[in-house]
Amino acid sequence: MSCGSTPGQYRNEAARTIREEPQVRDSVTKATLTFDAHRVEAFAQIDSERWRDWARDVKTHLLTHLDTYLEEAEAQLIANGAKVHWAETAEDALEILAGIIREHGIKSAVKAKSMLSEELQVNPHLEKLGVDVRETDLGEYILQLLGEPPSHIVGPAIHKSLEDCRELFHERLGTPVNAEPDELAAAAREALRKDFLAADLGISGGNFMAADTGTIALIENEGNIRLSTSLPRVHVAFVGIEKLVPTLTDVAGFVQLTSRAATGQPVGNYVSLIQGPKKANEPDGPEEVHVVLVDNGRTKLLADDEAWEALRCVRCGACLNICPVYRQTGGHAYGWTYSGPIGAIIAPGILGLEESMPLPHASSLCGACADVCPVRIPIPDLLVHWREKAVTAGLAPKSETLGLKAYSALAQRPKLFNTAGAIMRRAPLELGGRALPILSGWVLERAAPEPSAKSFMQMWEEGIV
Amino acid sequence: MSARDRILGRVREALAERKQEAHPGPFGGWRSEGEDSPAVDRFIQLFEAAGGEVVRFDDDAVAAAWVIDFVSKYDAVSMGRLARGPTAVGAESPELVLKSADPADSDVGISLAYGAVAETGSLIMTPQDGRRAQLLPPVHVVWVEEKMIFPMLYQALSTLGKDLPSAVGLHSGPSKSADIGQILVKGVHGPGRLIAVLLAAKRNST
Amino acid sequence: MKVSLFATCLANQFYADACADTVRLLRHLGVEVDVPKAQTCCGQPAYNAGRRAEACDMARHTATVFSNSGYIVLPSGSCVGMMRSHYPDLLSEDETVPDLVERTFELSQFLVRVMGVTKLGKGLEGRQIAYHHSCHALRELGVRDEPLALLRGCGAEVVPWEADEECCGFGGLFSAKLPETSAAMADRKLDTLPEVDVLTSTDGGCLMQMSGRASRRSVGPPFKHLASLLWEGVGT
Repeated sequence: MSCGSTPGQYRNEAARTIREEPQVRDSVTKATLTFDAHRVEAFAQIDSERWRDWARDVKTHLLTHLDTYLEEAEAQLIANGAKVHWAETAEDALEILAGIIREHGIKSAVKAKSMLSEELQVNPHLEKLGVDVRETDLGEYILQLLGEPPSHIVGPAIHKSLEDCRELFHERLGTPVNAEPDELAAAAREALRKDFLAADLGISGGNFMAADTGTIALIENEGNIRLSTSLPRVHVAFVGIEKLVPTLTDVAGFVQLTSRAATGQPVGNYVSLIQGPKKANEPDGPEEVHVVLVDNGRTKLLADDEAWEALRCVRCGACLNICPVYRQTGGHAYGWTYSGPIGAIIAPGILGLEESMPLPHASSLCGACADVCPVRIPIPDLLVHWREKAVTAGLAPKSETLGLKAYSALAQRPKLFNTAGAIMRRAPLELGGRALPILSGWVLERAAPEPSAKSFMQMWEEGIV
Repeated sequence: MSARDRILGRVREALAERKQEAHPGPFGGWRSEGEDSPAVDRFIQLFEAAGGEVVRFDDDAVAAAWVIDFVSKYDAVSMGRLARGPTAVGAESPELVLKSADPADSDVGISLAYGAVAETGSLIMTPQDGRRAQLLPPVHVVWVEEKMIFPMLYQALSTLGKDLPSAVGLHSGPSKSADIGQILVKGVHGPGRLIAVLLAAKRNST
Repeated sequence: MKVSLFATCLANQFYADACADTVRLLRHLGVEVDVPKAQTCCGQPAYNAGRRAEACDMARHTATVFSNSGYIVLPSGSCVGMMRSHYPDLLSEDETVPDLVERTFELSQFLVRVMGVTKLGKGLEGRQIAYHHSCHALRELGVRDEPLALLRGCGAEVVPWEADEECCGFGGLFSAKLPETSAAMADRKLDTLPEVDVLTSTDGGCLMQMSGRASRRSVGPPFKHLASLLWEGVGT
């Protein structure tokens, strides 16, 4: 399902959410603080600095040898009996999916939570093809009933409260108005059980892919991914090309680090390690496994000498959980699949720089994200990097360009700088809205600051100090 | 030129000027404090903390009797293929094997794990046993030999990696979700009760 | 000991008393203070906006102005962060810059780490203070304990505050470009604030942001720059 918004609408959507949906800010704040507290506890149990260094270095090695590992992974998957497809764009990925659906006469599908499948807009395409698709992750199921996209990488429905769920399930599943969470969960289990058993196709993403064994690793807590990738006769996995790791033993480190960073668990409740279709000595499992390796702008990011570091991302959501900007609105205000700090630094590669604006500016550069990222992505530096690229591309607002050029010119001429300062202090911000359009946003939400009676440099000059 | 060639071509072009970095070496699961307690104790601690249940036996016949008694309270039992094989349960109770229902219709499933991992509190489930039996019934009873508890996950994967089946599942507790208002609920969609029946390393085996 | 003061563009105009109190405090501790007259701005607003050329120009100017200084002390964590984190890269052709930024300190950092001072006096005895950790002081400079030690050293109680390390939403131009989000971030700080006599921080921008929002909402305690509060702490 599509967002209904775009990154370009960030300011309006953020303002609207804060103003009209204060419960979103409350729900998201509560959820993210909880996730982060669990992460802190889980990191304290391990030598987290060493784990993070290791993970950064493995991913850096992987990315600088990506072509070799992609070829190795493909060969292994084929040897395992899986089929491998390569998709340059989202359209290509959807076309590949359509081909598989036609070939197998697929009528119904169950879906595991996959951010890549959101990025590619798989569900609307399945609907167009006449395939009945059911989201099986509880949070995604709730959102599918509501017609909303996910708002967080790990907890897609954190912007919804218990009351929201009660109301929804009462309406759609017939549960009592004041049903306990257990009753709501039982109703979802029963409703989705039929879908699991009847589906022709299971769709998943891939958290990691080990090149040496051709293994797709998937992390979850509910079991819906295990079910979606085990019961239907066909399994299609969409995997971004950056999701590879060199070896299956590397996967051991990554599933643990990602789980600790995301929810504070030593490991997600279920980890699926999938090599290919069922073997002869196995009583059940899919007859066909298709892996779709997806580019969709990742090679563009890889080519950027700074932004390529963003490809290390393991999609743990820790940066969203610590981000004081994300916390105020949740993910929908960002207008794209990936929100928060990581969304802002990969959007220019996947969506394009112009389409991503102003996301790289939707940050105060506080640096909290870099402190928690398990693969040490220098997120604030990359935000500034994209801001620089935006300036070079002529995407900076005119008032900002003129204002900062003028400011810089003054700052190199101390006497003029001080004179300008003296004038500005006499024209307070309320009036300065026209004189200083770059600062007019201030007074919308705050009282204008009172300048000091005299500037310090003036006090010094006059010998007052 | 295929999509594959174009993608690989773009990757190579992107990396043309980039300094290659070496692999840092194997993951070591480094802890700030040493982990001295036995693997089985660490497995039990994590597994129970995640809501799993553990019973331990050093006699196969006693273990089998416990399982048979446990499942007798349920109407329909499904047994995984490996669990039906030459394990104590299968040997002690052939009627149970004959009565075995389809997992989709069962109240409790019995499986044999490949092993377990102490570091993460996980049972290692392999598909030869049958994935449906491991996932569909609301209660899941799993046999594990204590001698097959690997201290670290990478050790387990390294061993498995020599001869991998189609899919391996690491099950570390009952199915759970906090998607409803951040409140923990169990049993959607996998088993809401997960019981590990640990068979001691030194024990009376049939 | 000799120190050059870099007032910083924001504090110069809006927290002039804090700059003056910085001078008074240093003099009280026997330090000779000079104020290079040609100082203007460290360049952070341009750098954060992605205007690297303008940031370079301002950085070059600042480096030149302070080229003959020994220690350089600022009543601001974010400007020191800018200089230490980015000047060596922006001015990579200037070999004197790495040494220059090594001699550049935020006030509390200077007092505790360079001068070894934590007990300034008893002037804050009985005061209940909320301390806001400015992001750049905390994360770029690693300044966390120094301000707390100095405040407690003056007899103050620093009251626990669950959101004390969270960004206040200033972020320079961010506050004006995305004002609604920025204000919501300030609200998070203000709504979690315990009952205190005063809220303080190393950075004037943060104080301006929180006090401006507090004033609009008619909530909040008095706000005072750390330099001024510590000068008060000296007592007489």
